[in-house]
Amino acid sequence: MSAKHTFISDVLVVGAGLAGNRAAIAAAEAGLDVIILSLIPPRRSHSTAAQGGMQAALGNSALGKGDSPDVHFADTVKGSDWGNDQEVARMFVETSPIAVRQLSQWGVPWNRVVAGKRKLPDGREVEDTKDKEGYITARDFGGTAKWRTCYTADGTGHTMVYAVDTVVCKMGITTHDRIEAISLIHDGVNCLGVVARNLRNGDIVTYLAKSTVIATGGSGRLYAASTNAVICNGAGGAICQATGIVPLGNMEAVQFHPTGMVPVWILMTEGARGDGGYLLDKNLYRFMPDYEPKKKELASRDVVSRRMTQHMRKGLGVDSKYGPHLWLDIRHLGRKWVWSNLREIANISMNFNGIDPATSLVPVRPTQHYTMGGVRTNKDGAAYGLKGLFALGEAACWDLHGFNRLGGNSVAETVVSGMIVGDAVAKYTLGATQNYNYKLIEDFVKIEEERIKNLISGKNGRENVYDIKKGVENAMMDHVGIFRTGPDLEQGVAKLQELYKRSLKIGLRSSGQGANPELADALRQPGLCRTALSICYGALMRTESRGSHSREDFPKRDDVNWLKRTLAYWKEGSDLPTLDYEPVVCKELPPGDRGYGESSAAGKDK
Amino acid sequence: MELAKNLQTTINKSHGKTDLYVDLAQSISGILLVGFLWMHMLFVSTVVINPALFDTLSIGLDKYYLAQFGIPGTVLLIIVHIFLAGRRAPLRLRDLRIAWRLTRMMNHYDTWVWAGQVITALMIGIMASMHLWTIMTSWPLRAATSAARVASVGPADHSFGGFEFPFFIVFYVIFLIVGEYHAGFGLYRIFVKWGWFERHKMGWLLKGITVIIIALGFTALYTFTQIAANLPAGGAIH
Amino acid sequence: MRQLTFSIFRFNPNIPGDKPRMQEYKLEEQDGMSMFVALTKIREELDPTLMFDFVCRAAICGSCAMLINGRPRLACKTLAKNMPSRITMMPLPVFKLIGDLCVDTGTWFKDLQIKTEAWVHTNKKFDPKALEEKMDNEVAEKIYEPDRCVECGCCVAACITANIRDDFIGATGINRVARFMLDPRDERSDADYFDVVGNEEGTFGCVGLMGCDDLCPMEIPLQENLAYVRRKMAAAGLKLQFQGVKVS
Ligand SMILES: Cc1cc2nc3c(=O)[nH]c(=O)nc-3n(C[C@H](O)[C@H](O)[C@H](O)COP(=O)(O)OP(=O)(O)OC[C@H]3O[C@@H](n4cnc5c(N)ncnc54)[C@H](O)[C@@H]3O)c2cc1C
Ligand code: HEM
Ligand code: HEM
Ligand code: SF4
Ligand code: F3S
Ligand code: FES
Repeated sequence: MSAKHTFISDVLVVGAGLAGNRAAIAAAEAGLDVIILSLIPPRRSHSTAAQGGMQAALGNSALGKGDSPDVHFADTVKGSDWGNDQEVARMFVETSPIAVRQLSQWGVPWNRVVAGKRKLPDGREVEDTKDKEGYITARDFGGTAKWRTCYTADGTGHTMVYAVDTVVCKMGITTHDRIEAISLIHDGVNCLGVVARNLRNGDIVTYLAKSTVIATGGSGRLYAASTNAVICNGAGGAICQATGIVPLGNMEAVQFHPTGMVPVWILMTEGARGDGGYLLDKNLYRFMPDYEPKKKELASRDVVSRRMTQHMRKGLGVDSKYGPHLWLDIRHLGRKWVWSNLREIANISMNFNGIDPATSLVPVRPTQHYTMGGVRTNKDGAAYGLKGLFALGEAACWDLHGFNRLGGNSVAETVVSGMIVGDAVAKYTLGATQNYNYKLIEDFVKIEEERIKNLISGKNGRENVYDIKKGVENAMMDHVGIFRTGPDLEQGVAKLQELYKRSLKIGLRSSGQGANPELADALRQPGLCRTALSICYGALMRTESRGSHSREDFPKRDDVNWLKRTLAYWKEGSDLPTLDYEPVVCKELPPGDRGYGESSAAGKDK
Repeated sequence: MELAKNLQTTINKSHGKTDLYVDLAQSISGILLVGFLWMHMLFVSTVVINPALFDTLSIGLDKYYLAQFGIPGTVLLIIVHIFLAGRRAPLRLRDLRIAWRLTRMMNHYDTWVWAGQVITALMIGIMASMHLWTIMTSWPLRAATSAARVASVGPADHSFGGFEFPFFIVFYVIFLIVGEYHAGFGLYRIFVKWGWFERHKMGWLLKGITVIIIALGFTALYTFTQIAANLPAGGAIH
Repeated sequence: MRQLTFSIFRFNPNIPGDKPRMQEYKLEEQDGMSMFVALTKIREELDPTLMFDFVCRAAICGSCAMLINGRPRLACKTLAKNMPSRITMMPLPVFKLIGDLCVDTGTWFKDLQIKTEAWVHTNKKFDPKALEEKMDNEVAEKIYEPDRCVECGCCVAACITANIRDDFIGATGINRVARFMLDPRDERSDADYFDVVGNEEGTFGCVGLMGCDDLCPMEIPLQENLAYVRRKMAAAGLKLQFQGVKVS
């Protein structure tokens, strides 16, 4: 048997979020024929959930004055805890203002500067000047020296996704939604495309292209409690890693956002604190200034999340049947502010908790939020290991974020890398030729068809996919959380290995006919187990604390031994990733003090 | 803008401005008819104050040829309105089925109101023809003749077992409610579509007006029956 | 906690011989249970063949619209505690059925974007060195209001007109056009817009049923936006008439 349909294009983009769509536009602008694949209609991609905003050093708002790409650069490097690629960060900060302005021309209704004085909730008085009136304004976000986060109320991702997708529509770029890439086609040197499953009818189809771009988003759903959409499971990275030659980078760098709403784990944007919100404990005491006198609630996310956890460990959390939590307080911002500038989160807390944040406290706890790691690429977005394979967005480890991403830097990364990587893809593709070896392609199709047949017949076993999925989610929560320790991680690795082995013996309970959802889950599950193992094992081996990776048994950042990036390969037949490391080069800013967080506070004590 | 021309204008032949005019005309026909009906109800209600006033107005209408032009004009308007507004109604059986099923399933207030609009339209269609026919065939309009008609027992022929049915009074009560419902909510929907007023407040206002007019109508009908009772015995016309 | 009975529409057009039917599932109600939690539980524990769509599960993405007890709603923000103990779920009408509770909103909306040319039309070339054009914050906020539509399709499903007229672009379509009309960056003239929505498929096809306005989960002021487009298009049409401009 062979695939039902084969589609051929110059460029194949897997993922229609901000990153994928933006890269597709760049490639199409170069005159290339592009097909975009997506699990869902593009505008439903998780990018649309981004609330707070996009960082770009425009320097228009009152407290953004004096901002520049250099300041943005320093913030980003400090945020990453010197774990990122500074060359990439440099390109990024220089391009981000251009990206914001282009998006403005494409229709994003960025909020603008309104001239006049106003008083901030903390009592400071600021004045927006007349000369800046009408230019794109910005709000405060964690870990930034200046107000730099451009926004449209708190629906920034939504307006960005819609604007970018209008351009995709306008340019007539082909988008196939409800298609899931399930494996890469490659000959060990070149990537030739993907085998995919049509989620409308269950057909197996192939997409062949001179270059394949992975833009499949993050893998937050490996955790039981995550702010991510249910489709964010890292499958894109998993299919790359499954080749055995493409590594995932820094998978142990997992971000926990301070304010996931208990108990549904939907995000309360950082903008809530940026606009002046507080964190309170069970005595309604604002505790963050005690830990972080300078940045208070607006230290970087890894720091705030740890401080909150520390505070709850002292017994100062609010007890609930979902475990201890803290309060987010934005009541003092006033009803008008809450229901206009923070409307989406006001709606969310109303809809899902029956709480009006203008008058009541919102229960929050740090929650898995972002995957800094991903398919490791060079600064052009070209993946390691295979020619013609690219990756960008949250799916990639372009390595802008190192060990902690700053809020607002991610949607910025998607569009900026969309421009930069998109151009690199175009350049590569224009120079590439392709020989399609149909035998090879059919072999890849056959592997998938064989898998499907076995899942349906239960040839390899009768394991229940959902038991394994839940097992992984719980193992990740229990063993690879905010604070990590060696023994804990070891147990985690053991559990995940066990689950991985079981995932190879899944058998369906249903017939698997048509667009059967159980089959989709079953096909993905081994890949998800491998990704989870890469995170857990990477964390076990990294014996230092850096950014979001916080080892209680190794509480210090160790620049002597660990100024390096983890590369996790998956060798066929293995049940553990093979880890390799490459150095992190600090081209501009040598490792130093972040100015917030534990090491900084400790420094002050002396 | 080039794309605009390519995609939409060049490939698809659009309908020019016809759709606009038809839509405008539909709303205008609705507004005029509501205006007419409300005036008409006020006119009829003058009988409550004094039957003589009713007669004076009627004579006046005839004298200045308002009736001669007004009545055919109104009839024409109704016909135009039927064509314009009627095309919004679910006409095909398939459409009717979908509309009915969804309306029941959703149980959404305004959609029910609209279903009522369509049903009352059908009823008005029949009842207005009957009404106009009876009015025209006993011209001129006078309080006494109207009263006799309202109070008359018919149309059953007495020879059929002496079956008596106060046909006209029942007819008018239904007609009144149906007509006012259709007019009141019709106007509501016109305002909703053009967005001139806040819809919920305006809805209540129109409901208020409709109730007042229906009350007025009832009083008028009651007055007609009283007048009829005081007419010489067997004062029924025909 | 109550025992909930879910009566769910089942039909998989890709399985030969499958017939549309309602199937019942029983679940114990849980604290704060949303339809997302309930349906996921049904799939994972009772019936792995059940098809439905969730993405953000936070009422942001618009994936999960369906008829719940007859009304179009976002399933993820529909909480069991606000529901009777018997809950029926049907796929949205109008859209093509993919299976069970899944419908193809993606294709419908993509067609809509192209039909209404829902993008900023401008002849300006982007200059990477230039500052952004200024805009009043108020204007930006005005644009954002209709731009909040998540393309869930509730307003289309709730509209009898859209249910019986295949070519009607629905409240979401008219609202989308309003978004661009409000946007000074879009250089389209009234005549251009008139071409797109000044017809029965567009603004003049709306009967004012208000199912859209009352059932939009994003609470977009659809009545206002629809009326705005209607008035603007009527004025534009009349003006064009007096100026003697022929609309193709
Ligand atoms: C709640 C929330 C709020 C956030 N707020 C902010 C913020 O304020 N500022 C900020 O900078 N960042 C924010 N982020 C982070 C940011 O939104 C994301 O990191 C970013 O949008 C990711 O974009 P992406 O294009 O890489 O991936 P996504 O938008 O997740 O897109 C992934 C795409 O890949 C497709 N796909 C996935 N797998 C497959 C497959 N196997 N086959 C085919 N297609 C596939 C999907 O259909 C989808 O189209 C937030 C994140 C969350 C969860
Ligand atoms: C035989 C008689 C009539 C028929 C068949 C009829 C039919 C209809 C129908 C089907 C509608 C719904 C269309 C829509 O919602 O757009 C409608 C609307 C309306 N009708 Fe009638 N009607 C009749 C008589 C009248 C009369 C006598 C009046 C006034 C008193 C009237 C006033 C209205 C109004 C105001 C509307 C709303 C128009 C709009 O929405 O644009 N109709 N009519
Ligand atoms: C244009 C021609 C019309 C004339 C001259 C006319 C005249 C009259 C008169 C004289 C009466 C009093 C009762 C009677 O004599 O039978 C009456 C009653 C009534 N008419 Fe008409 N009518 C006209 C059209 C309509 C239309 C189009 C409607 C519909 C919507 C309507 C609705 C009513 C109602 C509801 C009553 C009962 C009044 C009451 O309750 O007091 N009429 N009309
Ligand atoms: S207008 Fe409202 S109901 Fe309609 S698609 Fe948009 S969000 Fe959904
Ligand atoms: S329900 Fe339909 S008819 Fe118009 S007012 Fe809304 S689009
Ligand atoms: S799942 Fe996104 S709106 Fe319900």
